[in-house]
Amino acid sequence: MSANSWLCTIDLCRYYRRGPQEVRALDGVILAVERGEFLGIVGSSGSGKSTLLNLLAGLDTPTSGLVEFEQVPLTSMSRRQLAAYRAHKVGMVFQSFNLISHYTALQNVETALYFNGSSPKDRHRLAAAVLDRLGLDDRMTHRPADLSGGEQQRVAVARAIVKKPEILFADEPTGNLDYENAQQIASLLSSLNRDGLTIVMVTHNLEMAQQIADRTIRMQYGHVLDSGTEKPIGGKQR
Amino acid sequence: MTLRDLIVISTGNLWRMKLRAFLTISGILIAIAAFVSMLSFGAGNQEYISKQFNDLGLFSTMQVYPKNKTNGSDTSIFPVLDRVALDQIATVPGVNLVYPYDAFTVKVKLGDSLIDSKAQSLPSTAIRTKLFSKLRAGNAFESDSSRGVIISEELAKKAGFNSPDSVIGLPLVLSVRVSTIDSGLGHILVDRGESVMDRLKRIRFDSLLNSKYRTRVIRTEVNETVKRFLNGFMNAQEIISDTLTVCGVRELIPSGRLHIEPIIIPFTTATRFSTSGLGGSPMDIFAAMSSGNLFSQPEDKSGKTFSQVTVDLDPHVLYQTVKDSIEALGFRTFSFAEQFEEIQKAFFYFDLVLGVVGLIALITASLGIVNTMVMSITERKREIGVLKSLGAYELEIRSLFLVESGVIGLIGTIAGIFFGWLITRIVSAIAQMYMSKEGIPKMELFALPMWLILIALAVGVSVSVLAGFYPAARAAKVDPVEALRND
Repeated sequence: MSANSWLCTIDLCRYYRRGPQEVRALDGVILAVERGEFLGIVGSSGSGKSTLLNLLAGLDTPTSGLVEFEQVPLTSMSRRQLAAYRAHKVGMVFQSFNLISHYTALQNVETALYFNGSSPKDRHRLAAAVLDRLGLDDRMTHRPADLSGGEQQRVAVARAIVKKPEILFADEPTGNLDYENAQQIASLLSSLNRDGLTIVMVTHNLEMAQQIADRTIRMQYGHVLDSGTEKPIGGKQR
Repeated sequence: MTLRDLIVISTGNLWRMKLRAFLTISGILIAIAAFVSMLSFGAGNQEYISKQFNDLGLFSTMQVYPKNKTNGSDTSIFPVLDRVALDQIATVPGVNLVYPYDAFTVKVKLGDSLIDSKAQSLPSTAIRTKLFSKLRAGNAFESDSSRGVIISEELAKKAGFNSPDSVIGLPLVLSVRVSTIDSGLGHILVDRGESVMDRLKRIRFDSLLNSKYRTRVIRTEVNETVKRFLNGFMNAQEIISDTLTVCGVRELIPSGRLHIEPIIIPFTTATRFSTSGLGGSPMDIFAAMSSGNLFSQPEDKSGKTFSQVTVDLDPHVLYQTVKDSIEALGFRTFSFAEQFEEIQKAFFYFDLVLGVVGLIALITASLGIVNTMVMSITERKREIGVLKSLGAYELEIRSLFLVESGVIGLIGTIAGIFFGWLITRIVSAIAQMYMSKEGIPKMELFALPMWLILIALAVGVSVSVLAGFYPAARAAKVDPVEALRND
């Protein structure tokens, strides 16, 4: 790991105040992600992995420390620049899908293109193409409530990748899915990584992380237990 | 995110919450309908008065008066309105025509009716100005020496002719009782068989040295002299009659400062009446006294002064310029255009009051928007978080909710304008029916000019967007991490 990494954190801290108590969600995290890498972050609930993901995605602001993307600290960016960073560079997938319930699958995917300057015509074309690629061509006009969990997560992945981001942050993408659907999503993410997309995936499923990630790190109580920089904890199966 | 995207998303959200959106929009609709119908009433009345002024040619008419004498000893600074003054006024740029108000009391025989009325002389050029051009029947007289006469619709009705057409071509006998100064003076010398010599004989000249007797004699004789003069002046009157033909019946023009008499006689034809002496009524005598014509020779037209002259203006010249020029000649002026400005000011305040009432209703309705939007934000917190995670900037989130408020306002305002118009049409139809039943001339009470539509649109949308500011600011501040947290 070096300070010149593509995406890195330097002594990253995030503290919350919950009543009179201070909760140290992240405490001095040092991490580096290289372009094209598939990084798995594993930890139990409350270990700080989702907080780390939110900070990497520029959704949250650190209490101290830095997140640098292409040598530019996110903390030095204005809110508009951070929004642009999320709009152009970052894709996000959540455990609970976070699809907009009153939009169709196609509209949900199109939403991601509202903020990167795509024209309405391009939005429709690109969204339809991605859904088609993910095998959801017959589900485009369906609303989330009419889709299975696996289909919903695939729509969420489609929404995350439709704008061709440089990095995809996946927060427990298989957490709400059964084994079969979880395997499908894992396979999809692996495939996207093979196509060159950098992925940082948070999960409590060590086995799955070891199965698809290039490198896996473990977190506990806001600290990174092992960086796994040189040698993955588990071997990546492609 | 383009404005089109914002509008599409906003309308989609409103469509999703149909009942809530409908109720919120209804609030704006009712407020705007009230706002529009109230201001429409003001606009309608303003338009009606403006049309009346314009139709009557009042905007191109100015009245000129001599200035009142504030100091009786100094008459030189206040020129009189005589023929010379009229000629001077006629040369002022922007003045088309000048004619005096020259009226006298007459007795009229029309059909079988004998009516006491008033007549005025008017040049044939003046009768063709807008002010007199509104004829209900017949035509204007052709020349100043024409034997035609124009009467008012009211006079025709008084004579029992309800249809203006039925009176055209009928003979109209005009009789004027004329008093002369000569008859008054003659009666000082001899009155009721008693000569001035008879009275002198009664005075005891030897007693005149007694001051009390002298005072009594002087008081008695002065009183007697005045009594004799007035007796001769008032009672020994000459009656001048002429038979003319009714050639036109003019519409009833609102009176006031216009002074248009029920009978209008061609200028030269009227000379016979107006130059023969003073009218018999006390009012004529007082008028003559105040204008300084009491002892002037009736035949001396150049010396005759007028209490008022009417000036017909070139519509392309600003009345203020003409007014300044005429006032510089030493006269007072009155212009209906000036009065109209005052009326417009009054209407402005009237509209303002109505507008404020409407605005209060609108502000109340806008609280509904605030409520709807705040509820919407609470429900859509996760959606806002998703949009932020997808790269939405705070301004875009704020714009989304502002546009949503604006769309509510726009739909409510457009519908409100339509319903406001519908209300005015219904009220107007009822009012017209009532007017028709009561025999009142029909008038349109309401108007919906383009400026009112634009103001209603601007006010409705602006108030709605303003109402959306607080909810939009709250939406923009939603913490995406908090919003996206798994429950």
